[in-house]
Amino acid sequence: MLDFILSKYNYWIYIILMMIGFYAMIGKKNLVKKIIGINIFQTAIILFFISTAAKSGGTLPIIEHGQGHGAHAIEAASYVNPLPHVLMLTAIVVMVSTLGVALAIVIAIYRRYNSLEEDEILEKRKWPRNLLF
Amino acid sequence: MRALALLTVILTGIILLYGTQDMPKWADPGSPASIHVSPRYLERTLEETATPNAVTSVLADYRGYDTLGETTVIFTAGISCILILRIRRTQKRKNA
Repeated sequence: MLDFILSKYNYWIYIILMMIGFYAMIGKKNLVKKIIGINIFQTAIILFFISTAAKSGGTLPIIEHGQGHGAHAIEAASYVNPLPHVLMLTAIVVMVSTLGVALAIVIAIYRRYNSLEEDEILEKRKWPRNLLF
Repeated sequence: MRALALLTVILTGIILLYGTQDMPKWADPGSPASIHVSPRYLERTLEETATPNAVTSVLADYRGYDTLGETTVIFTAGISCILILRIRRTQKRKNA
């Protein structure tokens, strides 16, 4: 039982972090808080992928004495998996891009409706006299 | 509405926690993610790309198209930020 907890608790931490972000996305009314929720969600996904790269006994994926020496045997088990690191490098870039576009859209919404609260924006859109402005 | 959101979140969390039973152990060298393609990247990175850093060689050599697409994403995001923030300003100028 203790072994089960020790080998799986990292996934539970990421799931709890993901639940916080997911609740902020769908439960909060403020648009900026929703964007913060999206970022917490993506951070949880990134931590999950990075944790799959870990190998017990492995070091950084930089080959030791790589330059200026002859060919020598490289054991893949002694270096951590480089692939999730690369994929999450790309994912961080996508995360920053979505954050920028989302904040730009929020600025445009605020200029038009003078509010960032979702219910106030929906209220302003609902009235027939405001439909055409 | 807030209770419905909380219910959805907790339900999703329970399903995911149930799914972790089948996940490999943390830092397991024999996990599926560590035995499929990444050993080849680590073993061949010096002779194929002359780069000791495996992350760099995968990012710029083996998966260079991924990085090209990443730059496209940044470009698109920058262009769309400019377009979204400029539309309002030109309309205001026309109204005034």
